[in-house]
Amino acid sequence: MTQPKNKMRASLSALTAAALALPGIAKAEVQTDYLFSHYQESDLPGNRSASGQGSERYKVDTHLFRLAGTPIAADQVAQLDVTYEAMSGASPWWVQPGANGKPVQVMSGASISENRVAVDVSYGIPLAGLDWGLRAGYSSENDYKSVHGGVEVQYTPEHKMYTVSGGIGYSSDKLDPTDGGSAQYPTRISHASKNTVTGYGGVSWVLSAQTTAQVSMSLSRDSGFLSDPYKQAYIIAIASPVADSRPDGRQTFAVTGKLRHYIPSLGAALRADARYYHGDWSIESHTVDLSWDQTIGDTWRVTPGVRWYSQSQAFFYQPYYADFRTDGFASSDYRLSPYGAIAGRVDVRKVLGKWELGGGVEYYDASANYAIKNVGIENPGLVQYWSANLRLSRRF
Amino acid sequence: MKMNNVLKMSVALLMLALTGCANVQPWQRGDLAKPGMAFESDQLLTTYRQHIAVSKEAASGDTTLGGGGCGCN
Repeated sequence: MTQPKNKMRASLSALTAAALALPGIAKAEVQTDYLFSHYQESDLPGNRSASGQGSERYKVDTHLFRLAGTPIAADQVAQLDVTYEAMSGASPWWVQPGANGKPVQVMSGASISENRVAVDVSYGIPLAGLDWGLRAGYSSENDYKSVHGGVEVQYTPEHKMYTVSGGIGYSSDKLDPTDGGSAQYPTRISHASKNTVTGYGGVSWVLSAQTTAQVSMSLSRDSGFLSDPYKQAYIIAIASPVADSRPDGRQTFAVTGKLRHYIPSLGAALRADARYYHGDWSIESHTVDLSWDQTIGDTWRVTPGVRWYSQSQAFFYQPYYADFRTDGFASSDYRLSPYGAIAGRVDVRKVLGKWELGGGVEYYDASANYAIKNVGIENPGLVQYWSANLRLSRRF
Repeated sequence: MKMNNVLKMSVALLMLALTGCANVQPWQRGDLAKPGMAFESDQLLTTYRQHIAVSKEAASGDTTLGGGGCGCN
């Protein structure tokens, strides 16, 4: 059987693009997406709380709208994302010694109620033999504004089985913490800013007719106010908490590997991701994510997955401090503590003509028991959460 | 592991990857084009879950530039 040469080239190009696609600059037809998700953290149990009483934690409702299409030319993809989040609940404030020195969590007194709106746009365009992607975005909360932008590029040499990609981005954030500098919270800063430069480079290649892989490196440099204005650290010597204080610079590095293998007899794809991360706050982490993408019939996809994560602690972190550190740093944030986490999830999608319906659930459990190395003292604020999402897509 | 050593190992791995490709003909790539084979097969959900991970964990980094927003709590 024969077909016109240009049609065959277009088909082969589409296959290659799909096999080596990178986020943000994949070619697409006009498509709209809507995702709703509810995120709910488990209550802090009474035996981890300074008050001895259980405490509710954070919950977030997210609405994410996406419009993607080719408004100018068939090979130039424009994408618009609008995100609205409604957040409420209490969050960890500081950790202090309880009975027998066991660390217990103090939660923020008042329930937080906050909204976030974010707009992100991207435009993909082929130029000079390369596929370029331009990104820009703005995120706004009452106490936090962020503007960011970036350029991504990918290159697939003719007749070669690999694609090289890279990108660089910049983010500028402004903080105006609620009640900063007030009589009630005199140690809380009233204004601050921070900047982040991020870059990545990677290569994806075809290993066989059923297997592809990708390896990438990313570097990030933060500068400015990197402390958390809503957290404090307890100092036994003064029997009082002080403001969270972290270095004003941070450099991080991550290397990520991804493998995709299709099993024709089962109609399924095995997906494996692994990441190693190192930052100059001495935090080292490992992440492994495995999922199984099962096609059932022509219209159903079911994707169960598991994720394991482990991190070591920042060099200045402690659950609480006997006295001030000589460098002045202090943080009891559970996100800087040593711990591990296990997450399980399942996502289901169903194609109905030009519509696609979907939904999924995820459960995440952080604990010292899941860490790669032995953890001496577990932070009492480690989080457990579940989330559920519903989605609707329409192609035109 | 020192950051410099990790960087050197990663660059070596990338160079090795560039020479490790199989010669798969275009008409043999039908399975590679299946939806589940894309490195990010569901960008919308990936964007959402990465935002949660970045706000709850110390580590970050992928073939993406990320977005804005605090995620402080």
